[in-house]
Amino acid sequence: MLKNTPLALKNALLALAITALIIGTVVYAINYLDRQRLSELTAIQSQLATDTLSLETQFSLLENAPCEDIASGNELSQEVSTLGDRLSSTEARLGSKNAQVIELKKQYTLLQIRDYLLTKRLATTCHITPTVALYFYSNVPGTCTDCDRAGYALSYLRQTYPSLRVYSFDYDLDLGALRTLEAVEKVQQNFPAFVINGKRSYGFSTLEEFEKEFPKALFATSTASTTTKK
Amino acid sequence: MHLEVLAYPFIFLGLYFEVFMLLTFLSAPARARRNRPATDATPKVAIIVPCWNEESTIGGTVESLLNLEYPKDRLRIILVNDGSTDSTQQVMDGYVSNPQITVLHKENGGKHTAINAGIDIADDCEFVGCLDADSFVAPDALREMMAAFADPHVSASTPAMSVFQPKSLLERMQNAEYIFGIALRHALSAVNGIYVTPGPFSLYRKSVIDEIGGFRHAHQAEDMEMALRMQRAGYEIENAPRARVFTKVPKSVPRLIKQRTRWTTGFLRNVLTDYRDLVGNPKYGVLGIMILPLGFVAVIGGMALFFLALGQVASDVFHTFTVTSGVPLAYILMPRFSLEWFYSPISFITVISFVVLVLSTSFVLIGRSVSKTDTDLTMGLVGYTFLYAFIAPFWVIRSLFDVITGTRRAWR
Repeated sequence: MLKNTPLALKNALLALAITALIIGTVVYAINYLDRQRLSELTAIQSQLATDTLSLETQFSLLENAPCEDIASGNELSQEVSTLGDRLSSTEARLGSKNAQVIELKKQYTLLQIRDYLLTKRLATTCHITPTVALYFYSNVPGTCTDCDRAGYALSYLRQTYPSLRVYSFDYDLDLGALRTLEAVEKVQQNFPAFVINGKRSYGFSTLEEFEKEFPKALFATSTASTTTKK
Repeated sequence: MHLEVLAYPFIFLGLYFEVFMLLTFLSAPARARRNRPATDATPKVAIIVPCWNEESTIGGTVESLLNLEYPKDRLRIILVNDGSTDSTQQVMDGYVSNPQITVLHKENGGKHTAINAGIDIADDCEFVGCLDADSFVAPDALREMMAAFADPHVSASTPAMSVFQPKSLLERMQNAEYIFGIALRHALSAVNGIYVTPGPFSLYRKSVIDEIGGFRHAHQAEDMEMALRMQRAGYEIENAPRARVFTKVPKSVPRLIKQRTRWTTGFLRNVLTDYRDLVGNPKYGVLGIMILPLGFVAVIGGMALFFLALGQVASDVFHTFTVTSGVPLAYILMPRFSLEWFYSPISFITVISFVVLVLSTSFVLIGRSVSKTDTDLTMGLVGYTFLYAFIAPFWVIRSLFDVITGTRRAWR
């Protein structure tokens, strides 16, 4: 037996235990942070649900003069959009198959649909013509090779033309309201799919071609913005 | 599956090794080595300086040896000119009148033949040392080294190497790496895990060299082969953490890659052929079970992580290029970082990498502290942490290529 072998053996075993402890602690800490992120999302989502309901109620109460609250509507849309960014970040971190992510996505989808309907009502009542784009994508591997490009192009357009309202939907999400929206808008399983101011289109080739799908008024009247969203 | 998952085993082993080294550093045997005072014993020693075309540095090397705090009649300096083609011979001949110095000229035969020629004429010495002709010793280095030989089972001792007057970033990076090596060798010596007795100022018990034989070519890694041969013979290799020696290092990246390719191929060839029986063999303790196998893991892991990172970066660049195609650059290049904790890039891989980085940095600082080396490490640490990983894969890949294809390269 070589000199100091007992020391080496003791240290080797102790090192294994400490390494396992370090890794375990890091895994726990990361999971804790992820749980905190999910909690924050849930809290924001809950607050937004209340705000949406409040606005809808307000809308019903002041049906004759709801247009004074267009600013509130815009603000709400902005918050829904910010929530979407956070949800995307969480989905990228935890994966699209994570049960909590799926649950949050369902709630977020409902919020988007309600905001979309609210926007439509405000537009009709207040005689404004916002540009609204519904974007349907799929996370099923191989079904939508151009979705990343389409999503990025929409982010660019939304950032550059703040009057554009974009609502993104995971087509495969198991949610009744989404199924109904897909049926009402007659969206087929051909991705990426868009409904821009009521007009359906499918596929994405170039940004230039994509811009032709939007009303010219969007580019003529909007002020380009360079503010970072997050 | 994320590609980063493939990196987990290597990160685990890296972390495990660092924790093991830290525990060993804190152990009583390592503390005893740190507290060991320099000895007053002065057995007769011969320091051999093998030279091949070292006209510009040999003078400084000899002067540093002459300044060693050791009785002059107990220290021989043997300068061996291994067939230099520059003015090394003339510089050496300038020392022939010094009674402490023996000058020997021979035909070029390789470093190991030069050292052996020196050993052959050091008959009256109990210890022989080796000092590369581009290295310089601190005045108390020999007395510190000698203290490590109190135990008769100790066959060799290694010094605390750092870089001689590092100026450029590349030299400073190597300095941080060498000082990391000081801490590593110091801790390894406590469990007899040292596998190389470096050319700059390792000291050997001559009776052991007489017993097991002189230096061999050993795939241009004669210092590693000698250490492995001593380990196989059951001897122990010690370390003197305050025996400071300063060495010159490659000043350009191609030269660094060439040097490290020589070291890495030397390791792989020796351990894969003549010393294969040591790998994984519990008879050789930490050296057999941990150090030599992890040496392979470091080579394979270094290459794997490099290609993994390269693949990931290429994939990300391609994806970004595809996704952003047609969108104005002003939007693409817009900074998107956020100070909100929600978007912080804290993940398993970043946190574990940070832990490994903190431990590595601690080892560099420990190395500087135990060796009492007075050097500024700021830029060296930054370069060692963030730039070395971009250079090291080149010598790892080149080494593997050379070993697989049987390619042999010149020393310089």
